[in-house]
Amino acid sequence: MTRSRARFYSFGFGLHCFLIVAVSARETFWLLSYGQTDAPSSLHNVWQLSENATAAALAEKLNYSNPARQVLYTYLHSTGIEGGYGYFAPNVPDAYKLVFELHYPDGRVEYDLPLVSSSAGGLRMVSLLERLARPGYAPVREYAIKLIAKSVWREHPNAIMIRAIFSSITLPSMADYERGKRESYEVLSAYDISHRKDSDPSVGP
Amino acid sequence: MLSLDSPFIPRIGWLISLGAHLRLSEGTILLFVWSLLLIAGLGLIAGSFCRSAAILAWFFHLCAAKGGDVVSYGVDNFTSIGLFYLMMSPLPDRYALDVRLRKLRPKWPELLGFFRRVLQIHLCLVYFFSGLTKLIGSGWWDGSSLWRICIRPPFNSLPPELLIRWKAVFPIGGIAICLLETGFPFFIWRGKIGRVWLVCICVMHLAIGFAMGMYLFALVMIVLNLAAFGPASSSDRTETARQAAI
Repeated sequence: MTRSRARFYSFGFGLHCFLIVAVSARETFWLLSYGQTDAPSSLHNVWQLSENATAAALAEKLNYSNPARQVLYTYLHSTGIEGGYGYFAPNVPDAYKLVFELHYPDGRVEYDLPLVSSSAGGLRMVSLLERLARPGYAPVREYAIKLIAKSVWREHPNAIMIRAIFSSITLPSMADYERGKRESYEVLSAYDISHRKDSDPSVGP
Repeated sequence: MLSLDSPFIPRIGWLISLGAHLRLSEGTILLFVWSLLLIAGLGLIAGSFCRSAAILAWFFHLCAAKGGDVVSYGVDNFTSIGLFYLMMSPLPDRYALDVRLRKLRPKWPELLGFFRRVLQIHLCLVYFFSGLTKLIGSGWWDGSSLWRICIRPPFNSLPPELLIRWKAVFPIGGIAICLLETGFPFFIWRGKIGRVWLVCICVMHLAIGFAMGMYLFALVMIVLNLAAFGPASSSDRTETARQAAI
């Protein structure tokens, strides 16, 4: 191998590792600066400075249309290194649930869950619900839930109205579970979807 | 969201749009993509037309993963990582059909060690940051995180009544996982200790697979770990030196 080729590979290796560290460190500093951990709050300014530095290193401060930013993020996504590795860290968040309340012309009410074809599909549905719960996804939450509701319509074509109820699940601690407490639900949002004659689900009142 | 990051990230919508221009339905395009992905995967397993199969597998997997970005989880990221390194590394491998039937040899076999090193460093960083972010949360010290994972839908495959009986294990398990991950980059390189660490990490992923139903994720992580630090790595170094000498 020629020296120039070796230098090229070494540079690429260094840059690739730098990006992995930057993405991972960015996530860690974000968690620390937003108080999501048990780290001492006296170091809050340090975490925030560090988070800003890593965000700058990842061109997050640049405009979305900036070519350098787009090239960088194309590389990050193409190599699979765009996200950190803090799975279920620093703590395990609450879960989310989507339930469909089906209303029939005779007054009958039934309940159903989003349709998935496999356990792998169930894992992906969970990922989707966790994302929809985030504030950044609020503009698309209603649209996404109505898209999911379409599959429920196909299974229950006689229903005249579907209420999609999006809730968070509060899990009991071990001590609470031993005392008999079980998971509880808090409704985050609900959408009424009526069935028009043209069979396209639409927003209800 | 994906388009905000970059409009150049491959996604399945591109292929569907291309298919629409050719008057092919969405279903036809998706069937075509899944078929090509399957063929590429079989090609990689058999070691046939390795480079083409690796590129096809990486590209179509990326299209599928990014097209469904909102429903993706860790397995998609690590599959992308593995396929990227596979696409870039010297191919074919000495066990591949390309070597046995077509007598092909990798162009730069000396790069095999380089790409394995890249994967090793990457895994070290993965586990280090994964362990570090767990250590800074109280739930992994007192066992509550492990408990919450085990009762959290859809990972609640074990009955809570059974889990409660073993509640004393949770704090030990939580701290063990944190130390196993954070210590990975420091101990994985050290001979016998490294082999023990590798086995422990693989057992951890197996346990995650069985306890949480994340079989594919466990399989991908075990494959990546064995590719990076497995027993074949030392014999491959000998083979690389032999091929470079030829």
